[in-house]
Amino acid sequence: MSIQCGELCAVIIKQYFGENAQKVADLLFSSGSRNLSSLVKATNLTKAQVSMVLAVLIKFQLVTFEPSFSNENIPEYSIKKEAVLQMLRYPRYVHLMHTKYGTVGSTLTEELLRSGSQTASQVILKCFSSAENKDTMAAYRDTFVQMVRDNYLIRCPMPRITESPVIIPVLEIEQHLLFRPPDLDLGKLQKLQSGATTEVPDGDSYWRVNFDRLHQDFRDNIMTTAVERKMGASAAECFKYILQQMYEKTDAWQKDYSNPITFIEVKQAIEKKSNNLELMKNLDQYITLIAEDNIGFIRKIGETGGGQYVVEMKKVFDELSQVCTENIITEKFGSKASRIFRVIRSKRFIEQEDIQKEAMVPSKEAKLLTYKLFEEQFIQIKTIRKAGGGGSGPAKSFFLFTINEKQIVRMLLDMSYKALFNAISRSSYEKRDNKRLIDKSQKLDSIVEAMKERGESEEYIAEILETLTPPEREVLEKVKARIKTLSSAELAIDDTLFLFQMHQYYNSS
Amino acid sequence: MAGRGRGRLGSSLTQEQLQVLGCVGKDIPSVPTAPPPTFPPLLSKPVPLENSTVQDYMTLWKEDFLTQMRDSPYHLEPAVHNNSNIQRYSDQFVNVLENSKQKSKVEIPWHLMPAELRPNWKRRKVATAPTLPKKKKENLIEDRLKVLEQKEKIDENPEKQAVHGSDSEEEKEEEEPEIDEDDEMDEENDYGNNYFDNGEAFNEEDDNLDDGPIY
Repeated sequence: MSIQCGELCAVIIKQYFGENAQKVADLLFSSGSRNLSSLVKATNLTKAQVSMVLAVLIKFQLVTFEPSFSNENIPEYSIKKEAVLQMLRYPRYVHLMHTKYGTVGSTLTEELLRSGSQTASQVILKCFSSAENKDTMAAYRDTFVQMVRDNYLIRCPMPRITESPVIIPVLEIEQHLLFRPPDLDLGKLQKLQSGATTEVPDGDSYWRVNFDRLHQDFRDNIMTTAVERKMGASAAECFKYILQQMYEKTDAWQKDYSNPITFIEVKQAIEKKSNNLELMKNLDQYITLIAEDNIGFIRKIGETGGGQYVVEMKKVFDELSQVCTENIITEKFGSKASRIFRVIRSKRFIEQEDIQKEAMVPSKEAKLLTYKLFEEQFIQIKTIRKAGGGGSGPAKSFFLFTINEKQIVRMLLDMSYKALFNAISRSSYEKRDNKRLIDKSQKLDSIVEAMKERGESEEYIAEILETLTPPEREVLEKVKARIKTLSSAELAIDDTLFLFQMHQYYNSS
Repeated sequence: MAGRGRGRLGSSLTQEQLQVLGCVGKDIPSVPTAPPPTFPPLLSKPVPLENSTVQDYMTLWKEDFLTQMRDSPYHLEPAVHNNSNIQRYSDQFVNVLENSKQKSKVEIPWHLMPAELRPNWKRRKVATAPTLPKKKKENLIEDRLKVLEQKEKIDENPEKQAVHGSDSEEEKEEEEPEIDEDDEMDEENDYGNNYFDNGEAFNEEDDNLDDGPIY
């Protein structure tokens, strides 16, 4: 893990869980795994404080534990970098659930994200009691069950039952229980809501958001959007059905390429579910168009069933991350540098003189841009020394420019981490610096809201609102705009981060 | 990439490579001698951020969620030790806020966590467990000693044993006071023996503390 990534994770943890959690997380990042006593010593916090931090982080699935190698009775804790970075995507998760299941779905997701993991009945009761538009409890229960069936919520592993109490619980769960909906009796839930003490059947099973399933949707969305941009909405719809067919035969996170999908299967699915007549009429042409595109979303592998196709995830994400890299180069150094980068990529190994010819860039400018690209590590030099020379003068060498895609992705990931760290730090600074004003405005807002509910006169409300002076209001507006821009930037950088993470996943062995 | 400065990735071409690139004389970039500016001017205008209702929804939701998290019992800040002599006007508001935060209870599923994290938990099981094998070990040693004693009795006559026993007791008596004397000598004569200080040992301790490198 890079330094940038560690710093970013620390600042995220601080944002959500406070300074104590950051101290513990910092140590866990730097040392891999540690036991409780060493954490207490190194952080200068009390044992109770460190224990509470660890308990909270375990509840949020950010920290895992396992028996120490040297002593089975002492647990060692380690932090999950990926899970911490996923916290940046919480707004996107909630938005996706909102589009799929409406307000009820987003409220349930929000409650689970806020508590890390929770029993189904508790989540439903909390959402029901805090909801403003008062959906029925049955609506919450049904949506919860549907979300479990669609694999958006997953059951947490349970401790293995033993006769004597254990020091380190062994958490496990059978595969078939992961997505089995809980038994939720509405009558019992109503009783609990009214304050009666009754036994809840799902009291010991905890649920959490299944981030993998959400990432699967984000991944599909990236590909479908790319198809839509290149070939139009109907082609995107066609590709969506191809992906649906793929999931019926292939594991969602299978690397390389999927199991074959036939033209007939896609056609039947579209005829059943789609209303797009144009797509149905020209389906074969759309599939051919997608297959022949240079990004290579699908590849034809046979003629059985009207044509057999495979989805090549690895190739798609290689190409998309490459396009993203080119865009970054264009933004940083201009279109000519991007052209040089493309030339080097297409030729694999190329000499300086050939670059300027192929890219059609004047000699001096080409040299300058090549140097800049090399300095920023977007391109590399491979030196090939000519054999011989025999001591009479320096041996002649060839300097070939080349591209190392994996290294570029790693570097861009680091840049994204750093940019995110800067954005979050700046946002925190703005909030800290204007804390008094922000608190004042929040307090005023809540007072005004309460007054409106009570039906106070408009004049009186205006008088209260004037407590915030015009200069203060101006400063506050500026600060809010800055924080909003930084939040938008965080989300935009996270998009890039996700794309590169997908590239790394499909290129990992 | 660590420690290579802001934005500079630290790679540069060698003289030979620069010559091949055709850079000679003034074309060769000068060696940087000062750190780059904190906020360098942007060479090109950055791409404008997406401004849609979805983006607005997400940014607003995030701010709201962060506020909720900050007010939740899961947000763990270090305890602030206020000087009790100083009374501040703001204290009353801070206390009200803190109390409202404590009202919401921390819900931790302790059965899913290691027992040592639970409040008021003591490691009892571990303390009792190792005593059993220790007893066994002691018994084994005692048995072994008995066997050895019996062997000695058979092999040697009791007179020799008595002589040996008295010798060893005397040795022990001699050793113990010697150690005590040494300690006393050290304490008393410490100043006289190590009085001279030529100053070379100054700051020597810092080097030996293994606190990590000093920059």
